Amino acid sequence: MITQGLNNSFANTLPEGVSINLTPAGISIRTKAYLFDFLLRSVVMLAFGFIFGFMGKAGTGLFLVTYFLVTWGYYILFESLSGQTPGKKRYKLKVVQDNGLPCKINHIVLRNLIRPADSFPFAYLIGLIVMALNYQFKRLGDWAAGTMVVYVEDKVSFSTQQNSNISPPKIQLSTEEQLSLIMYAERCHTLSSARQEELANILTDIITTQDNTASEAVKEIAQYYSGQAT
Amino acid sequence: MKQNQFVKLHKQRWTEFETMCTESPAPANFPLEYRRICSDLALAKTRHYSPALVANLNDLVKLGQSVLYSGESIGFTRIWSIFKSEFPKALYTCRNFIWAALTAFWGLSLIAFFWIQNSPDAIYHFVSPDQLNDIADMYNPAGAVQTDKRTMDADVLMFGVYIYNNIGIAFQMFGAGALFCIGALIPLLFNSFYFGAISAYIVELGYNEPFFSFVITHGSFELTAIIIAGAAGCKLGFDLLSPGKYSRAYIMKKTGLEVLPLIVGAFVMLVVAAFIEAFWSPLNIPSVYKYSVGSILWILISYKLYTGTRYGT
Repeated sequence: MITQGLNNSFANTLPEGVSINLTPAGISIRTKAYLFDFLLRSVVMLAFGFIFGFMGKAGTGLFLVTYFLVTWGYYILFESLSGQTPGKKRYKLKVVQDNGLPCKINHIVLRNLIRPADSFPFAYLIGLIVMALNYQFKRLGDWAAGTMVVYVEDKVSFSTQQNSNISPPKIQLSTEEQLSLIMYAERCHTLSSARQEELANILTDIITTQDNTASEAVKEIAQYYSGQAT
Repeated sequence: MKQNQFVKLHKQRWTEFETMCTESPAPANFPLEYRRICSDLALAKTRHYSPALVANLNDLVKLGQSVLYSGESIGFTRIWSIFKSEFPKALYTCRNFIWAALTAFWGLSLIAFFWIQNSPDAIYHFVSPDQLNDIADMYNPAGAVQTDKRTMDADVLMFGVYIYNNIGIAFQMFGAGALFCIGALIPLLFNSFYFGAISAYIVELGYNEPFFSFVITHGSFELTAIIIAGAAGCKLGFDLLSPGKYSRAYIMKKTGLEVLPLIVGAFVMLVVAAFIEAFWSPLNIPSVYKYSVGSILWILISYKLYTGTRYGT
């Protein structure tokens, strides 16, 4: 059902018969999102504390109710609205079900009520260990609710050098192969020219030239494929 | 078919689909259009069209999916409907854990009660003298707490304390219960022992009247809700410990959704309990009213608990 590629993204088969890609978000970016949310919650609670501070005993009571709502309700509210808390939005993350579908309210409530187990004994220690032990970086709450946190991907655009010529390849390539040619062209500038030629010369089957013109030929093919954006 | 031809043929439909996704409510032909996009993606993949086109169609499918399968948002009606129909059903499916938790809670508090009644000094092993003095002051019929008139703002303060503290404990028990029951069992047993021991201590002091007239009404909701939350946490932890024929990953998902209505039910009960505890229990009215209302609520709760665990209604 789920297969994982080299780039850590999962191809997920939908009931509609196609598969879409999801990239699970790791520990560090989720920690950042958590800290951002934590900061936001603290600021909100400070503001409420300031307002309710003028209201005596009743103010303290209302403050405690607000504190309860903010600590337990913050994640449930935002994640049930769009799958994203402000912190997750900032770091382009989203909570989805295991199969990539948007979460239902019961998943959201469940994954957030299991937080005490994840944060046991302090600083989300159990959660971090559990996350490190699986490929989808699920904490206990994610396991219970059947959810995971994935990257919201930007619109893909491929930009190889625009000044190079375009030439079609000798044979038809699969999408994966096309993609690797484009990625080669994109990161060529990080390689020495000798290394570029060395890599390009592996592809003597699909390019007509060899030796020091091979790299140029591969880039032309990459340009051909990336030019066909739409 | 060449890619350019393919794109030219369908381009307009794709842009239309994108605008369709922003409309609310989605048009009637939305599922059909969504399926066509899916088939476009499948075609683009099998024909090895360019990665950018595949990625674009992939995005379109994800967008359509998020519209087609979007969940309902949270609301009071939803919580109420869970409380009304799914909560009793969950009581039935988890009835063994509910009964076990009920037995454990009331059993241990009875043991504590009789123990402290037989040897009153034993309470000093568990509770510090300062704390005991505070408790004694609270329920002393001649003391400041009982004779002073409770004002409205003090009621609101206590309401906040009960919401924050009690519901927080219930949620903690549920969540931490996933850690092999430990996080649920310890608070459950601690509270049961504490409750039994303090009751015995109050009786020993002879402050029965203010104490029991205070706790009887909200106790029905509060104690039962805490027991239910503990049972829910225990079920989660126990199933994780012994998943039977399922994998641990699967059993967590299955049990999690099974026990969720329990914690929602406990939440509603604790909110009711907080209202009663803050605004009804401290009222300065003859105890007989409190006892009768409290008894009615106890009968109601026991009856509901019985029909829930026995028949799921």
